[in-house]
Amino acid sequence: MKSTISLYIIVLALLMLSCDERNTATLAPEYLYNAGDQKVIKSIINNKKGTIAMLYGNDLALETAHDSLSKPNIGAHYTLVTWKQKPMPQWYGTNMNGEIYSIEHLKIVQRNETRFAFDYDFQTGKAYQPSDDRPEKQQRIEFITSQQAAVFP
Amino acid sequence: MKKPGLTFYKSAAVVLILIFVGLQISSPDIENQPVTSEIAVPANVKKILERACYDCHSNEAKVEWFDKIAPASFVVAHDVNEARSRFNFSEWDRNPAGVQELLLWEMVNAIEQGKMPLKRYQLAHPGGKVSESELAVLKKYVNTLPGRHKVDTSRIVAQTSVNHKASSQKTPVSLNGIPYSSDYKNWKIISVTDKLDGGSMRIVYGNDIMVKAIEKRELPFPDGARIVKVVWGKQAEDNDGNVLPGNFQNAQFMIKDSKKYSATEGWGFAKFDGLDLKPAGKTILFEQTCANCHRLLAPENDFVFNIPTK
Ligand code: HEC
Ligand code: HEC
Repeated sequence: MKSTISLYIIVLALLMLSCDERNTATLAPEYLYNAGDQKVIKSIINNKKGTIAMLYGNDLALETAHDSLSKPNIGAHYTLVTWKQKPMPQWYGTNMNGEIYSIEHLKIVQRNETRFAFDYDFQTGKAYQPSDDRPEKQQRIEFITSQQAAVFP
Repeated sequence: MKKPGLTFYKSAAVVLILIFVGLQISSPDIENQPVTSEIAVPANVKKILERACYDCHSNEAKVEWFDKIAPASFVVAHDVNEARSRFNFSEWDRNPAGVQELLLWEMVNAIEQGKMPLKRYQLAHPGGKVSESELAVLKKYVNTLPGRHKVDTSRIVAQTSVNHKASSQKTPVSLNGIPYSSDYKNWKIISVTDKLDGGSMRIVYGNDIMVKAIEKRELPFPDGARIVKVVWGKQAEDNDGNVLPGNFQNAQFMIKDSKKYSATEGWGFAKFDGLDLKPAGKTILFEQTCANCHRLLAPENDFVFNIPTK
């Protein structure tokens, strides 16, 4: 009798333990990107490429993105950070940013009295494969500078 | 020491029997209210829900004889009442259309994470578990819901009408006292998402305390951590596959203060809808609906979904 009772207690205890499956997640701060003082212009999803991106800019870039000025603002700096998408672990139905794929910087600089130039730079992230195509520079410049800012309250 | 005599065992047995019988008399009954508006889903989906979920989340509970014996009956009654209060397949129209869809996605997630049906129910009802292939049927179904491929085709509105703006100069405050604040525009981004259910795209900001905690891999997050999620509709995909944000939909806040918000897992929840930033919810109970879903599905992450994890 006694041994059945203790067995019962052990089984109960085990059951209770097995119910508490609260293991903690492993944080991956390496997926964060620090854009410094640059502000958000917008996010961009690309399901054909399986990526998700954030476009940041300094005040001059933001001004262009808000007013969609036809002429680029000299002194504008943009940063486009692209991540590989991954399914959100706790919610089937959302894709989120995983590992960083690329970081593109674009600066609009004064070349001489009347002209400006684009200073474009493409950096690869961990998710970038050596066999992947490099984007075409002119296309990227057009893409980045033509973006309208997302609406904020 | 003197061993307890036979009379001791006898009287102990009598007391136990009396308690047991007393429990049976006070044992709660599961009552089935009439079915007013049953959920309408394809037959193969319905079959799964009926078998695995209806005993708690509907007015058609089939209570087994062993569920009626106290003390088990108390647990069963509690579970059924709680389950019906969350959502009831027999009174499905009480949920607005958008909420119905969200609940269906939440169900898929609750099953996928092994949270539903409840473990203790699965132990007592061996047939209750939802199999992998049944989960696949449910996943396929939620992907056919209207919100899944929603595209924001309306003209993008950048500001509320001038009149309205003048009258709504006051800072909007959520029913639980959390005010809207645009501080987040200077914070760092902790996550960027494409939400397929409901069709929206989101940017999630974290304040300094939140970002530092992630960098130091500190969980649970410390008091003072703040998260703001900004939500937009999705424009139609362009030829290169790009999807850009459409209209602003809402901003959602989570503020960590383990004492002040102890009833909602240490997080204060708030949601502000539209460019007018109208605080969401009719009563303060709204915050419980927020916490219920975060509590069920993201306890490993201190109830936060949008954090970078391996
Ligand atoms: C034994 C009773 C029982 C059964 C069977 C059951 N549930 Fe539940 N369910 C509950 C209870 C109780 C809650 C309240 C949360 C808690 O206590 O865990 C709940 C909560 C939920 C929630 C969270 C709702 C919210 O408020 O956000 C979802 C989703 C859910 N159940 C889905 C399901 C699905 C899907 C099934 C069938 C596969 C199912 N449940 C079967 C008892 C049950
Ligand atoms: C049905 C489940 C559900 C309900 C109800 C819910 N949330 Fe969430 N919440 C989620 C999911 C899933 C995510 C992550 C997915 C995403 O953001 O695309 C999330 C993310 C968030 C985030 C970003 C931080 C994080 O945890 O990822 C905030 C802030 C938030 N929710 C606030 C709220 C508020 C405020 C309410 C109530 C008005 C609410 N939620 C109700 C499921 C829910």
